[in-house]
Amino acid sequence: MIELNAQTIAFAILSVLVLGGGLGVVTTRNLVHGALWLVLSLLGVAGYFVLLSAPFLAAVQVLVYIGAIAILIVFAVMLTRSMTSLGEVRNRQWWLSAITVILLFLLLAVGIILPVWGRGAPGEVTSLSATVGGAVELGEALVAGDGFVLPFEVASILLTAAMIGAIVVARDEEDEGA
Amino acid sequence: MTDIPVLADLNLAWTWPVVGLGLGATLLLVADLFIPRDRKQQTAWLALAILLVSFLLNLAAFPVVDSAFFGMFVVDPFSAFLNLIALTTAFISILLSVDYLQRSGMQRGEFYALILFTTAGVMLMGHANDLVVVFVSLELLSIPLYILAAFRYPDVKSSESGMKYLVLGAFASAFFVFGAALIYGATGSTSLPHIFEVVARGFAAGGAPELLLLVGTGLVLVGLGFKVAVVPFHMWTPDVYEGAPTPVTAFMSVGAKVGGFAALLRILVFALPVLSTGAVEASAWQQVVSLIAAATLILGNVVAIAQQNVKRLLAYSSIAHAGYIMMALAAAGHAGFGEQATRAALVYMLAYMFTNLGAFAVAIAIEKGDGSGSDLEQFVGLGRSRPLLAGIMAFFMLSLTGIPLTAGFIGKWLIFQVTIEAGLVPLAILGVLTSVVSAYYYIGIIVRMFLREGEGDPAAGGTGLVNGAVYLTFAGTLLPGIFPYLMTDLTRVVSTTPVGG
Amino acid sequence: MLQTEAYVMLSMVLFVLGAMGVMLRRNAILVFMSVELMLNAANLALVAFARQWGNSDGHLFVFFVITVAAAEVAVGLALIVAIFRTRRNINIDELNQLQG
Repeated sequence: MIELNAQTIAFAILSVLVLGGGLGVVTTRNLVHGALWLVLSLLGVAGYFVLLSAPFLAAVQVLVYIGAIAILIVFAVMLTRSMTSLGEVRNRQWWLSAITVILLFLLLAVGIILPVWGRGAPGEVTSLSATVGGAVELGEALVAGDGFVLPFEVASILLTAAMIGAIVVARDEEDEGA
Repeated sequence: MTDIPVLADLNLAWTWPVVGLGLGATLLLVADLFIPRDRKQQTAWLALAILLVSFLLNLAAFPVVDSAFFGMFVVDPFSAFLNLIALTTAFISILLSVDYLQRSGMQRGEFYALILFTTAGVMLMGHANDLVVVFVSLELLSIPLYILAAFRYPDVKSSESGMKYLVLGAFASAFFVFGAALIYGATGSTSLPHIFEVVARGFAAGGAPELLLLVGTGLVLVGLGFKVAVVPFHMWTPDVYEGAPTPVTAFMSVGAKVGGFAALLRILVFALPVLSTGAVEASAWQQVVSLIAAATLILGNVVAIAQQNVKRLLAYSSIAHAGYIMMALAAAGHAGFGEQATRAALVYMLAYMFTNLGAFAVAIAIEKGDGSGSDLEQFVGLGRSRPLLAGIMAFFMLSLTGIPLTAGFIGKWLIFQVTIEAGLVPLAILGVLTSVVSAYYYIGIIVRMFLREGEGDPAAGGTGLVNGAVYLTFAGTLLPGIFPYLMTDLTRVVSTTPVGG
Repeated sequence: MLQTEAYVMLSMVLFVLGAMGVMLRRNAILVFMSVELMLNAANLALVAFARQWGNSDGHLFVFFVITVAAAEVAVGLALIVAIFRTRRNINIDELNQLQG
């Protein structure tokens, strides 16, 4: 059923990256290592975006997620100087959490794998690679007719609010000399 | 090739209550730079003026049904009614904040701008006609609240409250996005009217709904359940409410819930009413919502009894009230009851808004400048030192319980009525029983105020503005209690038909 | 050509992995990283479905998710710094000024 070609091999390698990175984040005892595992996982997702013919999003993923978000997290780790050797790995009610996670997994497994499985029948997915995903198409969709103008504007307000808020929270009152 | 849309295409005319508020909040940030540090109250007056303008614009838009921004933004009586609630909440919260910020030394202009931003988020949740817009508005509602919760610097309790809220809020958002992704996967669109059409077509064809859609809806319910704080997604509420500055808590307890329920109603009742597993009578999500409502009613009301801090008590009380609104949502899942239940939920939210903000106003009046003094014991003897304040507080407590002649009674009455008519009799009985339980802790406060001897004057923070807010909310609780049509007439034009596409 | 199911299954596993991280770990920064994993899982599902349906709604959703995630992380970093300035640890469980 699954033929062995370049795409399948790339998918397999990326899966190892993404899931391995994720597992690393969840189990690590060292915050800096955790951040690196996260970068690995995010990079894998960018690779998937390329496979899914969304090259622009792949670039955004690398620039914003790895370039900005992951780096911010590394900053947070360094600023708080609590980077190495976390004493305790699990929280107190870990067994309760574990049960919840298993339930969530079963729910999703039943709900997602069953319905999606039937979809991949040949012929149904003919026009896959022809889909939009380039910068031009996305840019047009953001502003053109039936486009996403409203969320775009709301997102810009949101970024303003978040920026102002982050400054308010993080600035040191004593430095102002007020 | 691409048509560049001009302003006229966006059909902005009826969007001005929200657009104007966002614009006003941004301009307020600029204006704040020119206001000297010792006169930051002026920023608050400006913010109140912006809210007032938005309120009037919204009244003008009330009966209109239209869509804007290429169908992503709905204007209808449902959203206009929610706007009234959101704007009044913000107005009263700012009245409560001005002197509170002053005496606890955190008077900052940004506070008011952030309140306006989060209010715009709440309003957009009601207007949203697309899952992407719901998501972005949800974040516009949440992110300023994370910051506001942490506003009392350098109090660790407040910063931690903000952090806890942020982490759990982000967790909830992730559930929402994954759920929305699955809904998109099942229907091929993020537009709510389009989703409605696809689901209705599938239902008409007689097929069972896709599991993908069901699971997606469930995950969206989890994500929004965190926002409105229903059991089992309520754990963060008491901690965050206790740690945040009290006026922020007041806003959160109403604003965040109203926004969350607006989105829940839009998604479940407007877009997915016929999502059904074969039984024609009820939507597939009805049972889950009923279970959540029942658990929320029981836990919220029972745990509230043990609380010794008024902010924690009101936190559990707000969880319990979310349970009553969930009851209406469950009733809305029954075929043909969508509109009646939505109206009941709207009336309930309006009544809850006035009563709950009033209770918080009194709590602020007796709180000390350093943020302490929110123990229930502070209420002891209030009936003697401040009879008027205590009397009004007693009235708020009766309204939260749902005693006749209060707005809270009207809200509960409508919800119980629609729940029984929709055939969910056990749930309605549970609602009545838990109301009786709630009387225990609400009346406990009345007993403390009037029947126990206290000393001193606890009402240190009862400044003119706070008292103004107390009287305003008192009027809002009393008048609809006596003249119910003040509230119910406003909802008469509300319809749950999806608008535009 | 790999089918949508492979991507969606993988995104589901990543989502559960992230949820596991949020629920099992105590450190606020690690919890935050786990939330990022969950958001990435959602993004992956969105892009896979976008290819399936052949429209760009999913891609635009991802665009906004990334924007919002950046805003959230910025605010989160500010809060972490604010907390750390007054207290020297950031374990979620040990945010015990608020009993919980």
